[in-house]
Amino acid sequence: MSSPGAGKTTLLETTIKGLKGRFRLAVIEGDLQTDLDAQRIRALGIRSHQITTGTVCHLDARMIARALTDFPLENLDLLVIENVGNLICPASFDLGEGLRVVLCSVAEGAEKPIKYPVMFHKADIILVNKIDLAEASGVDLSGLISNVRQVNPAATIFPLSCRTKDGFSAWLDWLQSSLSARSTAALVRS
Amino acid sequence: MHELAIAVSILSIAEAKARERNGCSIQAIGIRLGEFTNIAREALEFAFEVAREGTLAHNARLEIEVVAMIVECVVCHEVNHPERTLCLICAHCGFPLKVVSGEELQVDYIELETEAERLAWKEYRYKQMC
Repeated sequence: MSSPGAGKTTLLETTIKGLKGRFRLAVIEGDLQTDLDAQRIRALGIRSHQITTGTVCHLDARMIARALTDFPLENLDLLVIENVGNLICPASFDLGEGLRVVLCSVAEGAEKPIKYPVMFHKADIILVNKIDLAEASGVDLSGLISNVRQVNPAATIFPLSCRTKDGFSAWLDWLQSSLSARSTAALVRS
Repeated sequence: MHELAIAVSILSIAEAKARERNGCSIQAIGIRLGEFTNIAREALEFAFEVAREGTLAHNARLEIEVVAMIVECVVCHEVNHPERTLCLICAHCGFPLKVVSGEELQVDYIELETEAERLAWKEYRYKQMC
């Protein structure tokens, strides 16, 4: 989840490329109109399903349940749901997700976390994107991160840039080890 | 305007319960709404009035109990009610604050009228008129 233009689809593309086919992925995209994002994911050889909400500002659990008929979950290691770009409404809807990742970009300014505290508070992981633009945007990165901490002291934070790949490996390593740990745990259980 | 989707969900929860208990109409729905949610009370009340049309709750009142946001320090257990800018770091010891309440969105109670009650009421009114 993030505001529009923070880089959710670019983050997904960069992450998919970084995982190099090591995990079985699928993506559900949410937007008001167009299937442009689903096409971008499909271009990388990953299954994707576009939900167009029309005028609705968020995804809800019923929309996901309908989309899941396209995605047999037992054949997947990771299902990513990219919500509608919006820092308000999506925070109120539980989609049955195992992990909430919120992305914010440096170019949006340093105050977004404290202006939209519910969204940032509910996140497990917060990715601060476009750190390469900090100087050009006149934004103090450490100020932004301390604003994130103010509303969510327990979140894991990764400052990164999907464009220059600065800081990206920390996020990718974390994701890979979490996915491996989950599949090992599933093997042990079975 | 995500409150409309929430009003529709509240109504479907209430209608399912009403059918389970053989209710023929819903008189009131009580909900608990936390302060620390992105749900506006006035918008929810307006959405409820629109969404209740054609449901068992078409005459129902929506009774909203607003739950205050309370935070507690995980280390020194100082309890607070944050106002204005939210800061979830303890002012005393610098450790994280836990949100104890304020994130609620729950259907708390439903007032139903059963078919027998409706008939009894009708009969009572009829007798009064005679």
